[in-house]
Amino acid sequence: MRRKLLPYLLLMPTYVIIVLFIYLPAYDSFYSSFFKVSVFGNRRIFVGIQNYLSLFTDKDYLASVRFTLIYTLSTVVISIFLSFFIALLLDQKVPGSRIYRTLVFAPYAVSHAVAGALWGFLLNPVVGHVNYLTRIFFGIQTQWLTTRPFAAYSLIFASIWKTLPFNIIFYLAALQGISSEVIEASIIDGTNSWTRVWKIIFPLVSPITFYLVIMSIISSTFQSFAIIDVMTKGGPGGYTTNMIYKLFMDGFRFQKTGLAAAENVILFFVMIIITVFYFVYGQKRVHYQ
Amino acid sequence: MKKVLVFLVVILTVLSFAKTKIQFWHAMGGWRIEVIQNMVNEFMKLNPDIEVEVQYVGSYEEILAKTVSAVQAGTPPHVVQLNEISTQKMVDSGVIVPVQDLVDKDPSFDVGLFLPQVLNYYKVGGKLYSMPWNSSTPLLYYNKNLFKEVGLDPNNPPRTYSELIEACRKLVKKDEKGNVIRTGITWCLYSWFFEEYMALQNQPLVDNNNGRTAKATKVVFNNQAGLNFMNLWNTLRKEGLMINTKRADWTAARQLFISQTVGMLISSTSDVALLMTESAKQGFELGTAFLPVPDGTPRGGVIIGGGSLWIIKQKNQAEVDAAWKLVKYLAEPGPQIVWHQATGYFPIRVDAIQKLQAEGYYKENPHHLTAILQLLTSVQNYNTNGAIIGAFPEVRDAIETAVEKMISGTLTPKQALDEAEKNANKAIKEYF
Repeated sequence: MRRKLLPYLLLMPTYVIIVLFIYLPAYDSFYSSFFKVSVFGNRRIFVGIQNYLSLFTDKDYLASVRFTLIYTLSTVVISIFLSFFIALLLDQKVPGSRIYRTLVFAPYAVSHAVAGALWGFLLNPVVGHVNYLTRIFFGIQTQWLTTRPFAAYSLIFASIWKTLPFNIIFYLAALQGISSEVIEASIIDGTNSWTRVWKIIFPLVSPITFYLVIMSIISSTFQSFAIIDVMTKGGPGGYTTNMIYKLFMDGFRFQKTGLAAAENVILFFVMIIITVFYFVYGQKRVHYQ
Repeated sequence: MKKVLVFLVVILTVLSFAKTKIQFWHAMGGWRIEVIQNMVNEFMKLNPDIEVEVQYVGSYEEILAKTVSAVQAGTPPHVVQLNEISTQKMVDSGVIVPVQDLVDKDPSFDVGLFLPQVLNYYKVGGKLYSMPWNSSTPLLYYNKNLFKEVGLDPNNPPRTYSELIEACRKLVKKDEKGNVIRTGITWCLYSWFFEEYMALQNQPLVDNNNGRTAKATKVVFNNQAGLNFMNLWNTLRKEGLMINTKRADWTAARQLFISQTVGMLISSTSDVALLMTESAKQGFELGTAFLPVPDGTPRGGVIIGGGSLWIIKQKNQAEVDAAWKLVKYLAEPGPQIVWHQATGYFPIRVDAIQKLQAEGYYKENPHHLTAILQLLTSVQNYNTNGAIIGAFPEVRDAIETAVEKMISGTLTPKQALDEAEKNANKAIKEYF
């Protein structure tokens, strides 16, 4: 009996924290999503599923879902392939590769908000470096952050720049974990490097790819708030507002707690789908050595 | 028993000497953090029994969001500075102590010395709910050197829309490749300017006398007055006479003006002090003027923007009293003059203005005077008192979103107004 009790006792502090800071708030958002709540939370009316209905009939919300898909898809796909490619290059034993590695990892040390501010400066239409260069070389000036479709391009570019190092670190570790025998065997068998990369190396690092895809989806769906807030504020005209930014606007700018809770619940289900997919698909299809 | 009594007496003595601690949250970043801290330090010197924790909490929106959470968590701050558009929301909230109640109980405080233009904004149904504090209006700033350079009269700034467009066209400068390297004007993409331009044409923003005789039920800006301003904005954009910023990016607009990339700027009067210093650094002469009006439209007036101080209900009455003392102090002529000179926000009291006038301050600081004159010459009615709407942030969002769509070419000015009207009305209806 004592043996059984001890582990639970040791886990108690963790349980208490999880219940207080995760389960209770989660329960509260489920509960609040069925209410219309006043600004200071002192009045609430039960409205059933009205919050959900108004979300799914709201053109702006649907637009934010659409942008979330576009933004997530392009960020994830481009950053995965690009990081794999860069990791391959960094894995080469050339002089100075250590310095390159350090430089390439630098963006990872920068927080999302700082990254957003940085790109905000660089892409500033008047005093930004990017426009300075494009004006000198191509004679064009672009309003990067305030016009369609450039606001979305800028945002996706900055997000990729931010997530790339994380992916590269993992790929590099995976590449260095591949035993040289396999590679040598393939060289003896006379494969060209293209086949070697896509038929041997890429499948061998597939567990990492899978992990990175999931992580990138989560980070670009749920952690993109800071970069959007700093760079475009969801504009122009709601064009770069994704689901998490919309939630922030409704919850913290307009104090519509009930509506924001409903949006939160929707994101919760999106998260569940991704997680389930991760466990089911991840075990079946990904090749582990 | 004796011991217990002695103990109690000791405890009570200690408590009676203990300071009342109150929190003051404000939204004034940059160099103004220090200005406010110094003002509060002065207050604490005069009131050694009160300790004020001053905190710069972030933007007005963040203060509101944080105040909401703090109230719900049961640890409300004592004095919070919120922007003018939160007025109806706070009145409805039930978590505040209306300033009027404290004024009525305090014979030492005379609200009659306040500028009526300022009081009229913050009074709802004849009752003053918060203490007006940092008040400002928009103002036209221009670069006199650039005006001279392109052959415009630096002492005769544009007064109408057509004069404004004409001046902008002259200010445009291109490099040898045909790229625009300097243009006419900028103002940050902020719905406040739209609201001001409705008042400047003596028009309300919402029904029921701008929400002041009964709660607003719908917006009434989708008319010729609204269209005048949208058309101006759209024309300036199409002809490349204006640079648009991100939403609410005041800094970007100021930078464009300071770097002499644009010749004119419409910004808050609270920037007067900053622009005076910066223009001197850049070596150009600053000019200020009233906002230009649409051709042939009689001038209405400007609305007070900025913020006011709210006292939040507390369990302990001593803390409310301390908060009132602080609020009262910050509205006194002395601190108001310090604040006015350091920032450009108006002194909210007639006696403070008179004192500065007598000292000859406005002769040496003509820009501060332009700002005040624009306010004092404003017609006073419901239109220029400003709208009060519970869902004001959403209404602003609706207007800004529509403007963004207009300047990215997706909507015409009329369509933009239609869309803004539709979304704003929806928000007003849903407000709870």
